[in-house]
Amino acid sequence: MNDPPKRVRRDPRAERQGRAVAAPAPVAAEAPTRVIAEPAYLILAVPDMLHGRLSPHDRDVLGAARALADEGGGAVAVLAWAAADFAGAGADRLALVAVTDCEARAATLAATIRHLAPRHVLLPDTLTGGGDLGRRVGARLGLRAAGDVRQAGLARVVRRAHGGAEDWAGAPPPILLLAPEAAAPHAGPRHEARPIELDPVAVTPRVRDDGPVAVDAVALPLGEADFIVAAGNGVTDWEAFHQVAAALGATVGGSRVVCDAGHLPRHRQVGASGTLVAPRCYLAFGIAGASQHLQGIARCEAVIAVNSDLHADMIKRADLAIVADAQSVMPALAARVRRGDA
Amino acid sequence: MLSVTVLVSIGRHPGSGRARRAVRDAQAVELALRLPNAIVEVVHAGNPDRSDVRDYLGMGIGWLRVLSLPAGADAVPPLVSWLRARRPDLVLAGTLAEAGEGSGMVPYLVAEALGYPIVAATTACELDQGRARLLQALPRGQRRAYSVALPLVATVDAAAPPARAVAFSEARRGRIEAAAMPSAAAEAALAWERGPARPRPKRLRAATGGSALERLRAATNLTGGGGTTLVHPDAATASAAIWDFLVREGMVAPANRDEGGADGRG
Repeated sequence: MNDPPKRVRRDPRAERQGRAVAAPAPVAAEAPTRVIAEPAYLILAVPDMLHGRLSPHDRDVLGAARALADEGGGAVAVLAWAAADFAGAGADRLALVAVTDCEARAATLAATIRHLAPRHVLLPDTLTGGGDLGRRVGARLGLRAAGDVRQAGLARVVRRAHGGAEDWAGAPPPILLLAPEAAAPHAGPRHEARPIELDPVAVTPRVRDDGPVAVDAVALPLGEADFIVAAGNGVTDWEAFHQVAAALGATVGGSRVVCDAGHLPRHRQVGASGTLVAPRCYLAFGIAGASQHLQGIARCEAVIAVNSDLHADMIKRADLAIVADAQSVMPALAARVRRGDA
Repeated sequence: MLSVTVLVSIGRHPGSGRARRAVRDAQAVELALRLPNAIVEVVHAGNPDRSDVRDYLGMGIGWLRVLSLPAGADAVPPLVSWLRARRPDLVLAGTLAEAGEGSGMVPYLVAEALGYPIVAATTACELDQGRARLLQALPRGQRRAYSVALPLVATVDAAAPPARAVAFSEARRGRIEAAAMPSAAAEAALAWERGPARPRPKRLRAATGGSALERLRAATNLTGGGGTTLVHPDAATASAAIWDFLVREGMVAPANRDEGGADGRG
């Protein structure tokens, strides 16, 4: 992390005498790379790296591995499927293996565990990523795995169990599958990320990956949608509304009034008597924000509301509120989206 | 004719704690019932006298196999020996149990013991001449297709078609065929200390950069975008503000507008 450039100290005497004062050269304070030469034990972290990038969940897993290693003088080894800044994320050793097939990844992870003999293996608990990989390898090697881990320590881990109703605490098993935000990402000095060579593992694939299947984002089930554009009683220009949704690639939703009137089918209703949604972003056009509707979007992270009524409850709930007529904003937004970043 | 076995467990209602059929296990039974030319056997390892397991019978399967085990016994070895003797073509299960440890390991342990490949989080299955075409549910509503030769194990995700409703008369009429199995206690599950779930605090997004006052404002302002309100802006300003917000949230990528398209694993 760089310090901000130092302020220039004024020297009034020199200024009065007309001497120029040289500004001190800004020193970018570079923290030295921390090297762990003889670790007591290894913690192996395997980030998901969906789309070839470290997600926030992956960074949390690496942070947890760093914390576990620092508890007892150990080191963090990372098995990665793509390149990223692992030194900055706290990795002492790095094994980079570019395989995409899940069975090949399981075989590689099993071989890495046998080779490195880590004390614990940490993965993000995602159904199709680390959660699948960790459980596969746990079954293959006969290692116990704990899922939905909320806190991880060398002596004690806390995991959610019993359908999400109980927290179970106990000694950590060899494989830990971490929930999101189980630990803070590493924010300290950079680490070595020394490369490790692994022998390639030959695998006869039994599961053939036929590739992604095109999914119509606009018609996704509301429960699964990541981005929802919803219409309320204030929307009269339905053509423009559907164009905005298609341009944004967002799922269409509506309030109860709109579904009652037949403008949208019932399964598109958002609210207490419709679907409780949890998208990352919710864009509401012409929705007043009745309490049942707000209940439906209680778990939304970012809400944008466009409504002509300044005192509507939806305006109060929204993170970005625009008091204007939805009919004028929708075509302008569709045009803006189609233009992209000017 | 294909032999399909579905592994089911007793579920738990998240609000009341009442025991009932597990949601994903019921979806697995539904998936199996929709397969053409399949002989479906539903297997539960546990107590045959419990009435909650009859909820599965209410789906119209006619009969249910229960491998009777004492409470606290490990379910995996009896299931594995049962399945090894029968070698079904397709084994379906839910992704996670709703009661107890819920480690999600049972389908993987079963697959490893039988030597079958396993595909997780499926939502649809089509069978075609000894191969199965499965759709896997990825995050954010994406789907990926896999083609596997039978026999295989598949776990069913919550995004699969919903299970049919339970009919009380079917649940009463259906038969439970119990089979006694040798069992051992699941010692490792006893080592955990159980307590009620405590909600974890949500992480605040820490702003970096800017002056100390700006960082303090960003940290104490719990609504993400700062709770901005624009009053009667013109359409261009409004759409620009919305666009910037979406770019900042990462919902749209400025250069590439194709956010909603099919996106595969990198």
